[in-house]
Amino acid sequence: MLRNSKKEMLFAYVLIAPFVAIYGLIFVYPTIDMFILSFQDAPLIGAGEFTGLDNYERLPGDRRFGTAFWNTAYFVLLTVIPGTLVALGIALGVTRLSGRTQALVLALFFLPYILPVSVVCRLWDWTLNFQFGIAMHVLDLLGMDRIPIFKTTTWFMPAVAFVTIWWTCGFSVLLFLAGLRAIPQEIYEAASLDNTSTWRMFRYVTWPLLWPITALVLTIQLILQLKIFDQVYLFSQGGRPNDNLVMVYYIFQRAFVNNQGGRAAAIAVVLFIMVIIISVINFQLMRLSERRK
Amino acid sequence: MSASPTPSNDPRYTNVARGVRETYTEGEIAIDATTLDWGVPFYTKVQTAVAVGEAPDVMTYHASRIPLGVQQGLLQELTPADFETMGLGEDDFAPSIWNSVTADGAQYGVPLDTHPIVLYYNKDMLAEAGLLTEDGVPEGLDSREGFTATLQAIADSESITFPLASVTADGNFMFRTIYSLMGQQGGELMTDGEFLVGDNAAKLENALAVLQEWTNEGLQSTYTDYPATVALFTSGEAAMMINGVWEVPTMIDMKAEDRLFEWGAVELPVIFDQPATYSDSHVFAIPEGNDMSDEKRAAVLEVMSWISNNSLFWATAGHIPANSNVTATDEYQAMEPNATYSSLTANMIYDPKSPMAGVAGPMFDVMSTYFVPTLNGEMEPSEAVAEITYELNDM
Repeated sequence: MLRNSKKEMLFAYVLIAPFVAIYGLIFVYPTIDMFILSFQDAPLIGAGEFTGLDNYERLPGDRRFGTAFWNTAYFVLLTVIPGTLVALGIALGVTRLSGRTQALVLALFFLPYILPVSVVCRLWDWTLNFQFGIAMHVLDLLGMDRIPIFKTTTWFMPAVAFVTIWWTCGFSVLLFLAGLRAIPQEIYEAASLDNTSTWRMFRYVTWPLLWPITALVLTIQLILQLKIFDQVYLFSQGGRPNDNLVMVYYIFQRAFVNNQGGRAAAIAVVLFIMVIIISVINFQLMRLSERRK
Repeated sequence: MSASPTPSNDPRYTNVARGVRETYTEGEIAIDATTLDWGVPFYTKVQTAVAVGEAPDVMTYHASRIPLGVQQGLLQELTPADFETMGLGEDDFAPSIWNSVTADGAQYGVPLDTHPIVLYYNKDMLAEAGLLTEDGVPEGLDSREGFTATLQAIADSESITFPLASVTADGNFMFRTIYSLMGQQGGELMTDGEFLVGDNAAKLENALAVLQEWTNEGLQSTYTDYPATVALFTSGEAAMMINGVWEVPTMIDMKAEDRLFEWGAVELPVIFDQPATYSDSHVFAIPEGNDMSDEKRAAVLEVMSWISNNSLFWATAGHIPANSNVTATDEYQAMEPNATYSSLTANMIYDPKSPMAGVAGPMFDVMSTYFVPTLNGEMEPSEAVAEITYELNDM
């Protein structure tokens, strides 16, 4: 049958037109606008005067930008790899179970993931609150000093990282489980016939075959944690906000609290570029390590 | 009339709208009220509503946010003619309240109330410890030594966990107490657009030093957030608490359910040279961006005037009505503890007039970050003041 490729192309364009229009309107246009805004002294709403690179030149000397930058880096360090390892560990354990027990245990690990962030914060506040938290009574029983977890800079980020892993690792566990199930059982059988130890089985069978999933989980986690906001914001309420700033929180603060849309846009652009660079590096590293195998 | 996103979560507020509804018969003036979440979400909503021309006909606003609101072009000026129409004017309000709605010589709101902080105390506990005066208020309200001695005496009696419940984990809140203590030394935060000029830095340091001393001596609760502070006081674990008058309904309701001890509330103790208490006001304001007809604007003015003249009901929410004709009535004078603490309206100080000031504003965040470590003994007051000065001038 002869195909009219020109007509088909036209038809294809018509079909994707609504998507392109919406994508352009709600993604591409605001992104371009963000770049333009970052060169202006605009308030939150309305236009401003062009001020050249002013908004960017301020950033290196801006103390709060420094706090936000390093806190974000620290948070990524505390969550991405540890969170992935925890999820992998749980998945390896769950996969050894079977039937209803497996379903039950899996459900228990997945449960926190379905909670909204506000509930998660309330829950952990009730647990770790300095005056009334349940955990503090445990410390009292053990004869230890109470720790104001969310009110000191030492404990804040590690605690929020811990809560984040607790909250979100259920999703990664699911991805790992799917990956584990996709590994053909025959390979394990062959390995066990050769009397392979459990560690070697993991090191030379499970780990390499699971690598694509691990890489996926790492990438998702990395991008997600670079954009961290909700938990940090909620746990900072009624605390010491400027010590706990992360990038998105700082954007929010500049735009919505200080009414400085232009300066907020400049920080958003920096974050945007950071995410792109880190994602590309991450992707290349993953590819390299895969080729090595 | 579409009215007022409101920054108050108190159900008593909606009753004000109901009061208006009952006064004006159907068809004359009808109010359609919306309640929004307090703080940043409220003020962002107002901005977007004005920007798209969907602003309400009238809204509540914090007086402390007026300088920023004017800069953002969110508020319509209320002219002397408007005030004449409403039958209200400068003489009906305390000077500090009137000044708080004034920016560059023009008025931008009708003050509904003033909501300062006060000292709440557990009468039963203090009476038992012999620390109540004949008037039934705590001993030692007239000096730093006197008040610290009262706190120490409560601590020594060992009948209670904390002499004073303080929101030490929330520097945002503590701004009110610390700014009051600065005011008691005649200090100001901002002079001609500059922060902490001259000996004002030293005055801030003194204020912080007093509070840190109370922490170091174990006289107040540490790392306590807002809800925990209220809980410490109402559960009888703390003898006194410094908090806003908006907690008065909490006490009244709990007392009515027989879940609370005998309690009272008084003006803050005079720690330094003169009485001074930080306060803010809820005001009614007309936003830009709503294309009102003259007729509708007249109706808005009438409603604002009615609410101001009938603001006695709002006093049940603890707030002190801004209209001094209302506070002068016998009915108000009979309300307790409101009548006791309303003497402080003569000693009120408001936020500095800056777009950076005001509740949920950037100044709050800067202060908060350094107040928390200082009040809990992690940081020296002098270091905190140096950091605050640097950051305030760097906003």
